[in-house]
Amino acid sequence: MASVELAGLTKRYGALAVVDRVGLRIEHGQLVCLLGPSGCGKTTTLRLIAGFIEPSEGEVRVGDRLVSSAGWAMEPQKRNMSMIFQSYALWPHMTVAGNVAYGLELRRLDRETIRRKVQAMLATTRMDAYADRYPADLSGGQQQRVALARALVVEPETLLLDEPLSNLDTNLREEMRFEVRRLHDEYRYTTVYVTHDQAEAMTTADQIVVMNAGRIEQAGPPEEIYYRPRSEFVAQFIGGTNILRGKGLDGRHLSFAGRALRCSGADVPAGGTIAVSIRHHDIRLLAAPPPGAENVLEARIARQVFLGSVRDYLVEVADGTQLRVVAPAEHSIESGSPVWLHLPPERCRALAG
Amino acid sequence: MTTIAAPLPRGRPRGIDLSRPVMLGLAAVLCVLIVLPVSQLAWHAVVDRDGAPTLENFRRLWSDPAFVEPMLTTLTLATSVSVACCVVAAPIGWLVARTDLPFTGVVRALVMASFVTPPFLGAVAWEILAAPNSGLLNQWYRSLTGAGTDEYLVNVYSMGGLIFVIACYTFPYVFVLVSNALDRIPSDLEDASAILGGRTWRTAARITIPLALPALLAGGLVAFLQAMILFGSPAILALPAGFHTMTTKIWSLFQYPPKPGLAAAAALPLLLITIVLLRGQQWLMGRRGYTVVGGRSGRPRPTALGLLRWPALGLCLAVLACSVFLPYGALVKTAFSRVPSQPVSFDNLTLQHVRFVLFEFSGTRLALQNTFLLGVLSATLGTGLALVVAYLSGRRAVPGHRTLAFLATAPVSIPGIVLGVGLFLSYTRPPFVLYGTLWILLIAYITIELPAAYQQLQSALKAVHPELEEASRILGATRLQALGHVTAPLLRSGVIAAWCFVFIGTMRELSAAIMLFTADTKVISVVIFDLNESGDLGAISVLGIAMLLITFAVVLLVNRIPGLGGWRPARPGG
Amino acid sequence: MHGTKFTRRSFLLASSALGISVLAAPLAALPAAAPVTPQLIEAAKKEGKIVWYTSVDLPLAQKVAQAFEAKYPGVSVRVERTGAERVFQRIGQEYSAKIHAVDAVNSSDAAHLLVWKREGILAPYVTEDMAKNYPPEHVDPDGMFASFRATLSPIAYNTKLVDAGEAPKSFKDLLDPKWSGKLVKSHPGYSGSTLTATFQTARDLGWSYFEALSKQKVMQVQSATEPPKKLSLGERAVAVDGVEYVFLQLIEKGNPIAIVYPSEGTPLVVGPSAIFKNAPNPNAARLFHSFLFSRECQQLIVDAGGLRSFHKEVKDKEGRTPLAKIKLMKEDAEAVEKQVEEIKSKYTRLFKV
Repeated sequence: MASVELAGLTKRYGALAVVDRVGLRIEHGQLVCLLGPSGCGKTTTLRLIAGFIEPSEGEVRVGDRLVSSAGWAMEPQKRNMSMIFQSYALWPHMTVAGNVAYGLELRRLDRETIRRKVQAMLATTRMDAYADRYPADLSGGQQQRVALARALVVEPETLLLDEPLSNLDTNLREEMRFEVRRLHDEYRYTTVYVTHDQAEAMTTADQIVVMNAGRIEQAGPPEEIYYRPRSEFVAQFIGGTNILRGKGLDGRHLSFAGRALRCSGADVPAGGTIAVSIRHHDIRLLAAPPPGAENVLEARIARQVFLGSVRDYLVEVADGTQLRVVAPAEHSIESGSPVWLHLPPERCRALAG
Repeated sequence: MTTIAAPLPRGRPRGIDLSRPVMLGLAAVLCVLIVLPVSQLAWHAVVDRDGAPTLENFRRLWSDPAFVEPMLTTLTLATSVSVACCVVAAPIGWLVARTDLPFTGVVRALVMASFVTPPFLGAVAWEILAAPNSGLLNQWYRSLTGAGTDEYLVNVYSMGGLIFVIACYTFPYVFVLVSNALDRIPSDLEDASAILGGRTWRTAARITIPLALPALLAGGLVAFLQAMILFGSPAILALPAGFHTMTTKIWSLFQYPPKPGLAAAAALPLLLITIVLLRGQQWLMGRRGYTVVGGRSGRPRPTALGLLRWPALGLCLAVLACSVFLPYGALVKTAFSRVPSQPVSFDNLTLQHVRFVLFEFSGTRLALQNTFLLGVLSATLGTGLALVVAYLSGRRAVPGHRTLAFLATAPVSIPGIVLGVGLFLSYTRPPFVLYGTLWILLIAYITIELPAAYQQLQSALKAVHPELEEASRILGATRLQALGHVTAPLLRSGVIAAWCFVFIGTMRELSAAIMLFTADTKVISVVIFDLNESGDLGAISVLGIAMLLITFAVVLLVNRIPGLGGWRPARPGG
Repeated sequence: MHGTKFTRRSFLLASSALGISVLAAPLAALPAAAPVTPQLIEAAKKEGKIVWYTSVDLPLAQKVAQAFEAKYPGVSVRVERTGAERVFQRIGQEYSAKIHAVDAVNSSDAAHLLVWKREGILAPYVTEDMAKNYPPEHVDPDGMFASFRATLSPIAYNTKLVDAGEAPKSFKDLLDPKWSGKLVKSHPGYSGSTLTATFQTARDLGWSYFEALSKQKVMQVQSATEPPKKLSLGERAVAVDGVEYVFLQLIEKGNPIAIVYPSEGTPLVVGPSAIFKNAPNPNAARLFHSFLFSRECQQLIVDAGGLRSFHKEVKDKEGRTPLAKIKLMKEDAEAVEKQVEEIKSKYTRLFKV
């Protein structure tokens, strides 16, 4: 097992840089999620790591081995990696056991060992009852498990997963997230996991790398990404948020809807327009103005929706900006009612330019 | 008179829904097209001249060595051709579809050119090249090696020669099937093997080739059937070599005095073999595990050939030299030579064949007209019929759609010459007296080409989601309107491909035409065959080249018509 | 269908041009000769075309057609040329389907005319030339057909490949092992001339000759016009048969071919012509028929075509061996007609095709 290091990794098709100077170090045994909307370059990055394509610039190292550099890539089969494809890429002409055994056969293990390992891996993935079936006979979840089994059984240095759950329905997807994490905890391979689903990333990842337009926006543990987004893109993409724009007053305050709001995070330069993020459920709705509290805005309910456990409100403040607020479901506030919003300063994160 | 504004139609648009009657009508047409001639064949095989039931025909067939030998010859021939085609076409298909072979476009185009070449024309060209004494290749061989006048390098008038020449014009079927299959195998499946440590050749051996194997087997089967039912090439090459195949034997049964009963009986084994083989193929392909599930069909990573790139291209071109360069060189040379076996020289140069074919020979113009007319009509009607059948069976629109699909594929199993016999027996007496008209040839061509067109359109139709059509129907369109407004335009490229396929097939067709033509309804292939019978090689060359030019021109034209060929279905991004 | 019942015997055709004829039918039975009148020409022009099925070599057939079209502008000739046996099969097929496409026919198998006459599908028509300039034995007593052409079926060799001294002198010479693999021969199943020649040779030399010949690795072609062409290409050294007129045409064009009239006698092949009762263009057919037997046309087929003519005023061309100096085999169309099937099946058994 080894770490994976990307340095200045760039892939251009014509003038378009699909992956743009990506630098990243994945410690050995870590599970890192590349998270981003479609077209952000995460899958290309993964295929660069796998060696299916060679970088235009930059390097990929596994441990201290250089495996890719500008215009060159060591062939995928020599990298001792394994990968789970979005389509699972199960070979339709081989049985489940045949699929799983393939990688072991390539490693020239003896027949008995192969049989034992396949058996054990199918048991771990709870597919032992299906060993002799063909992939076409399996459900999506079962195919996914076979793909996992096939990738894990060879005990790779590095495991790559390309949107492995995107073809499953919601319930199964939630179940498989934990499955992936469980298996990772069991084997602890250095793992790169590509997804566009933030919940998936949150559940599985040690580190999340948010990508946008070929670049890394922010990398860090899930909590840090969630609570301390460094850019508007990250704040919007992870969890959903309200963005307040206003003029900076001093290092800690900005002017918004006629009030001065104190915020945390990056410094607020005086005079410049800056953006502040506050998550929907961090805003508190009050029926009456709290005495003397800071960061309170007057607003009016524009619309409310009952979502079962919570209520989702759309409120409008004095300057016409609309904000979304999620509040407990017990108290219903009618549309058109005046309300007061409390924005706790520690939750108002000023975002870097 | 005052006019009153008509109220807007409410609910469903008015007009009678003709969908059902139209579809049932077409189904009936299909039955007549295929069931009638086959039942006529079966009937004539089991009755004697006076209409009394008899098995005499079959007894003779199994006991007379004059029939048993051609049958064995045919089986040997078809098997050899099939193996030869697979051996040649599979590597070329793989090189073109999956490697970084240079000039793949050129290779594909040349394979297409060999496909368009009528096999009988290829056979004539190879006569010019490889007749043991006068053949150009053998002359060169003798002058290069100083070998004696009786020695030769190659002899086209032999079983080996016949196998070679048929394989030259049959391997494109295998190529197309194999390279399409390779194109369709999702690249993920190969990537998955590579990332697990599979080297290039290992991945090819364990993943790519097994997945392409069903296509290769299907191709081998098609090649077998093509070789088995081919008439022109054996008639030109086997008779001088001193043996019969089943098709030439069946044809000889129509020499005076004609024995249609015996011909019908002799045709049935071919029919049976075909049906058994097709069943076998279905069983093989239907086996679990050979259907590729899901998968992103991104552009596959081509295998790097490295230093082998140019030798590989050389290999492809060597094969294509046999099917395209050499034969066409020979035809062009012959077209402008006084004596085809003499070297090219000013003395030997002549335009007499061109003049003869274009201005003196009274049959040329009519035959060209007939061929062109039949080509266009068969292609149009055949494609239309195939489209409706593919639609009906693909969307399960009428009861009995399975039978329809079967009927549309059934003609694959009817050799042209056998169909010719069946049609002759069916349409020479009331109520359908069509013999002697172009209609009977039209029917023959449509019937023969229907399976190919049907297959094309069926797979094209699979790619159009039924919901697109349902969206049109929920807005009030009838089935036919939905078909016309939504499905057909989406199928355009498939329809054009099918049209070209049928057109080319019609131009190549000889075996049914040779049974069905009359003075007024001669087609080019028959004219060429007649000219070959009397040894007029120059005229054949001119006609053959003219015919190919027409074929290419029409195919190009059809693909260029604005809004037809320029249009490509939008592909969802990956 | 073509039974053995024969009500009328036509011995005329059974005679050769040398006058071996046993019996000449009384001239009185012949219908009156019809002259070419302006009315006939007018009527023919109205029909505008005539369809001629023939087994004569295609370029020659086209020359005849062009000469006719030049003489009677407005009436075009459509030539349908195939081997005589296929012409016969074609007409049989068409008439059984009640298709009357053919106006005039010329076959190199005289027996065909006997069959058509018996079936009653020919129209009697005696031209002035037939009455005046033809030996009576070459005109059917009922005026149904007459001998349009005659040719021989000699041996020939390529002078570049065979020295004159080495050349075969007789049919028997061809059985010499030195000719193995060097012979080309046409097929009685496809060619009327060959059928006739096969009959005469088998009658005079016995089937044992063909049995021995079949062991000589003979190249088998279909039409009797083809062996001369294979000879001129140099594909084979010696032609066992093939029509004399094509040999002559090729020799006179400078091809290296020499004819041998075998010592056992040369088969004589008479090619009669007729018009049909149900001809679609009856007047054009009559006009064409008159033209075929005119001195002009007969001289053309002799000069340009190398054929033999029975027309009294037609001159043999310089340099050709006159018929009188050639030993001929006796013609017997009636016997040929009776033995068609036997000849073909015996031949097929020996030569395997």
